[in-house]
Amino acid sequence: MLNRSLKVGIVCPYSWDTPGGVQNHIRDLTEFLIKAGHDVSVLAPAIDESNLPDYVVNAGKPISIPYNGAVARVLFGPVAFARVRQWIAQGDFDLLHLHEPAIPSISLLACWAADGPMVGTFHAAAKRQKIIFAIGPILEPAIEKLSARIAVSEAARLTLTDHLETDAIIIPNGIYATRYADGNPQEKWSGNAIGFIGRFEEPRKGLSVLVDALPVISRFAPDVKVFVAGPGDPEEVIESIDPQLRHRFEFLGRISEEEKANFMSSVALYVAPNTGGESFGIILAEALAGGACVVASDIPAFDDLLGHGEFGALFTSENPTELAKIVIDLLRDEEKRKALASRGKAHAQLFDWTRVGDQIFSVYEMSMVGSQKVGLASDTRPWNRFLNKEEKP
Amino acid sequence: MTRWLVAACILLIILWYLSFTATRLDRLHHRVETSWANLDVLLQKRASVALEIAHSDIADPASSMLLTAAAYQARDANIQNRSQAESGLSGALGLLLEDAEHLTTAADSALLTELSGLTDKVRVGIAIHTDAVARTHMVRNKLIVRIFRLAGTAPLPITYEFEADVL
Repeated sequence: MLNRSLKVGIVCPYSWDTPGGVQNHIRDLTEFLIKAGHDVSVLAPAIDESNLPDYVVNAGKPISIPYNGAVARVLFGPVAFARVRQWIAQGDFDLLHLHEPAIPSISLLACWAADGPMVGTFHAAAKRQKIIFAIGPILEPAIEKLSARIAVSEAARLTLTDHLETDAIIIPNGIYATRYADGNPQEKWSGNAIGFIGRFEEPRKGLSVLVDALPVISRFAPDVKVFVAGPGDPEEVIESIDPQLRHRFEFLGRISEEEKANFMSSVALYVAPNTGGESFGIILAEALAGGACVVASDIPAFDDLLGHGEFGALFTSENPTELAKIVIDLLRDEEKRKALASRGKAHAQLFDWTRVGDQIFSVYEMSMVGSQKVGLASDTRPWNRFLNKEEKP
Repeated sequence: MTRWLVAACILLIILWYLSFTATRLDRLHHRVETSWANLDVLLQKRASVALEIAHSDIADPASSMLLTAAAYQARDANIQNRSQAESGLSGALGLLLEDAEHLTTAADSALLTELSGLTDKVRVGIAIHTDAVARTHMVRNKLIVRIFRLAGTAPLPITYEFEADVL
């Protein structure tokens, strides 16, 4: 273990004030590192400068581009590049940690501009894209500068090997398991209650699969209720539900972390019918830590996280009939539900920040061996070295 | 006149690309060296922890002998035989630790924790090193690198084939 305190620079590609998995991960990681006594600066684009925590440096206003089936708010361009270079030059960092450096963003710019110990974390999981033949030769020399690469899941690692022919170490996303461990079961969410958390308006979150499965479920479990938490306007979803079943749905809106813990410990089943686009599935880790019995679609990320069904039940993605069958089976069998939930809760400790943070830090130590501090790559180019020598004889 | 300008531009771009590739290759060679040095230190540490375990109460005389031999072999092996020697040490450690968990005292369990921490680090170290080597080979195989001898006199890094069961 290194005992001295490090100066770490973290680059967040996405707008700091839009909610998202990568942003949450960076926030938790930064707080973990600061608590461990390190000095951390996060460079991120932001729309509103007034609400930023102390450790965030604003890189400018993000622009919206379509990426990987969603809209990404990122930042690049010559002004941003100058900003990134300035941040690196003034930061005097021991190490840079770049998140998602393979998309056009300030992470890629930082990777291009900096020289020295750098770690990259790859979050996204995507199918192989043909476009990589065109952009690969531009990305490769940059990605190659990273001394170590981390992928958050097997799916993300495969995406990386497919696209850029380079391997990565798998370190999962972290959660604060203890925050979810002792939620108080609530009367209002008890009984045959099914929980769902997420931006339900997005089709890839798969609420419609659950809606399609409900007619069958309610035939066998007449008192079933579905609680949907998460931001969004429920109007349109309610329209799509069979009028006779509408009273079984309750929309809770966005809930706080504390309520989330209570929610997970109350509901009989937590259902994640996502149809794709998930790389890790942090919500499942939180559900497991909260002691919920989880039923999820068998997309690669979930299959991996739930140990191929050992820590939660899996159904074929986008198949409401199979979902209904599994839900009914579990609602009837409390023993089985409890067993699954308790195995899951033990498994969730793997994702706790105390463990994940140490793993990440150990990669930091590895990448810093033998290298100096982070500097600007342009300073070490031969012609600049030559020019500088001329200036300072 | 324009013809000369275009030619000069093309020449400049080629020169820039050559310099860029040379820098890239230099960085990779540097990375191979540092990551190997790092891995080497970790493996040496592992060998000394293995020796300590061999001399502690965890090991019975027979496995102590086996472990001592494996640890010395791993320490003394040259780079070509290193991988095999390290696999041997892993095997010896695995044999011993399989059923050693019940008889650990406080001092011994500290040793075992140290070993498992080292094992995790070695795993990361191997991943970083093999990646650096593979990358270097890839870039050195490029036509432009071979024609202009951009690699200079740097020796071709040895692919260090860790067997899958090395840990």
